[in-house]
Amino acid sequence: MNEMNEKPIRLTVSDDLRRSRLTVFFRLLLAIPHLLWLALWSLAAFFAALANWVATLLLGRPPDPLHRFLSRFVRYATHVYAYVDLAADPFPGFAGKPGYPIDLEIDPPGRQNRWSVAFRLVLVVPALLLFAVLVFNYSPYEEEASGVSLLGVAAFLAWFSALARGRMPRGLRDLIAYAISYAAQLWAYLLLLTDRYPSSDPQTAIGPLPDRSDPVRLANDDDLRRSRLTVFFRLPLAIPHLVWLSLWSIVALLAAIANWVAILLTGVSPAPLHRFLAAYVRYQLQVGAYLYLVGNPFPGFTGAEDGYPLALGIAGPYRENRWTVLFRAVLAVPALLLASAFGAVLFTVAVLGWFASLATGRMPRGLRNAGALALRYLAQTYAYLFLVTGAYPYSGPCKSE
Amino acid sequence: MGRELEPSRFFSESFLERSATYERFLQVDSLLGWIALLVALAIYARHGHRLMRESAAGRVGTGMLLGMLGFAVVWLTQVPFGLAAVWWQRRYDVSQQDYLEWALGSFLGLGSTFLFVSVALAIAMGLAGALRRWWWAVAAPLFAGIALLFTFLSPYLVPETEPLRERQLLADARALEREAGLSGTRLVVQDVHRYTEAPNAAAAGFGPTGTVILWDTMLGDAFPRAEVRVAIAHELAHLAHEDTLEWVVWLALFLLPATALIAWLTRSRGGLAQPEAVPLALLILVVLQLLVTPLFNLGSRQLEEAADRAALDATRDPAAGRALLRRLATTSLTDPDPPAWSQTLFAQHPTIMERIALSYEWEEERDRR
Repeated sequence: MNEMNEKPIRLTVSDDLRRSRLTVFFRLLLAIPHLLWLALWSLAAFFAALANWVATLLLGRPPDPLHRFLSRFVRYATHVYAYVDLAADPFPGFAGKPGYPIDLEIDPPGRQNRWSVAFRLVLVVPALLLFAVLVFNYSPYEEEASGVSLLGVAAFLAWFSALARGRMPRGLRDLIAYAISYAAQLWAYLLLLTDRYPSSDPQTAIGPLPDRSDPVRLANDDDLRRSRLTVFFRLPLAIPHLVWLSLWSIVALLAAIANWVAILLTGVSPAPLHRFLAAYVRYQLQVGAYLYLVGNPFPGFTGAEDGYPLALGIAGPYRENRWTVLFRAVLAVPALLLASAFGAVLFTVAVLGWFASLATGRMPRGLRNAGALALRYLAQTYAYLFLVTGAYPYSGPCKSE
Repeated sequence: MGRELEPSRFFSESFLERSATYERFLQVDSLLGWIALLVALAIYARHGHRLMRESAAGRVGTGMLLGMLGFAVVWLTQVPFGLAAVWWQRRYDVSQQDYLEWALGSFLGLGSTFLFVSVALAIAMGLAGALRRWWWAVAAPLFAGIALLFTFLSPYLVPETEPLRERQLLADARALEREAGLSGTRLVVQDVHRYTEAPNAAAAGFGPTGTVILWDTMLGDAFPRAEVRVAIAHELAHLAHEDTLEWVVWLALFLLPATALIAWLTRSRGGLAQPEAVPLALLILVVLQLLVTPLFNLGSRQLEEAADRAALDATRDPAAGRALLRRLATTSLTDPDPPAWSQTLFAQHPTIMERIALSYEWEEERDRR
């Protein structure tokens, strides 16, 4: 909690998850005035940012009027993003005043290192890479816009859910709020409202997190230390695991089909099949953790429950609703969409984490936790798809993972 | 090969000097690379077990990690020597490969090395866990069997190949194939001209997978048809003599004492069943490999000489053979008459001058007949 209070840019969430179906249905159209106003405001903010850059370089701190103007701009952009992406329900005001359900608190201007101000545009590049996969519908690894940003996919799925139920799922709301929080920190950093580098840590992004007891849950005991030697060679070192995982995947697919038939007949996953598939899901998580630098030690080849810092707890088999089992492959499609967006996040975490770990011998906590969130979601998705659990994957960040 | 020929009869003085300088640097670079390799592996054998803390993978998995990291350390020590070789080859226009491309290709190549090491260690450590001191008696034949399988499949693992399409060459190759007593040999061209101008050809596989691989740097207008015929005849001779199989037999003969020695020398670290023993096992293996290299080179040179003779018998064109050898030497900047020590340590083929002398000997024998 302390770390959160120390952040100069803080996202606060007071949203009650209720949504008006009417405004959800027309959300994009309703947001048009805001999007136009935001575009105009962006133009003014561009010139203000230039003036702020020169002034901060000269004075060593941003002047109060410019800081106020740019803070208000970032806060307004946060409100608009939250409205468009369904993280909040009320139509926001046009002045960027505090009090919106997804709001931003920005500390008053402070002294900044002139070197970091001078090279801000260069320093922000790694954060922009993460921003690209979290928020912006663009993959830096493909030539064209891929449309698979985490925020975009989450908002797309949330639209259907909120329209059907009149409520926003907590997981999706928190995930969207997390992405918006990162965007707000990035803009604040770029516009010199703060010299604190954007944190990608989902644990501290949006306030208190739920303490969930899902049938598939992650306990993270990683100490952030990384061996530079194994980091440098991480990709080739993971190749034996990737080969083994590919072979295991073939068998797991056949086992999942057998599991599907068995549960349809008996209502419960047979214990040996459940054990086998649970080990497969755990192994997949451990290999992912190793490959993407979310974990440090070389994992074993059996998907053992203990011994790895990222421990995936999987509850034993229980009676499941046969209808959800029958249509599992279809029901898993939204989760798989989100999982693919999480995959892009993981890749970016690995690329940035590789450089950081090589330089410092430690994985940045924010990147590690963002990777852990993505891996846990992927594990829950595969567990759901392979009928290891009937619980739908939870997309938001949870306590202690 | 009794006949002694004067290199200056076939090559200009400037070429002889240039090729000798070129090769000398690469040989010294390789020797220094070997020394660095041994030093690095000796240090790794002593301290490598500390890296066990980086593993949560159990006995065999940890051994695999230590094996891979051993080769990672080897790679790191060899990078400066590799870069120096690339620099030298570029300086003499033998290669166009840039440094980053080389480094990246070499790094990515580690992936297959790691996979191979992992599989080998999984087998050896698995057997050592079950059979204790006698694991090597099963492991050596098993490794030889795997090598045999890889040799059989190797033509399909060569990247960027396509079937030979030049009609005349294809007709020549089929005639030579009949002459060699073979049939159904695959003839493929490998696309390498983006990386090098050097010419080369190779034989791979055996039996139904027997394949002759020609580098595309030999085709087109680069080499006259008669010379390419000689190269194809040479590689077909390797297949007809089943030289690839002979290599596997030699490997098996090496593996049996080598694995036994590893089993014996790693007992102080609990035997190869324990991951602590893996760094030491790597050192022993590499030292043994370096020790037998001159012996393997000698055997290889004998096989190459036999293939040269068979190519002469098949083509009956010693002049084309000599022209090919001269062109091979000039395009690859090969020293035609290198010092004996470098021939012993590095060369898998007879020297260019020895091969030219062989063609004269063949001519004289033919004339006598």
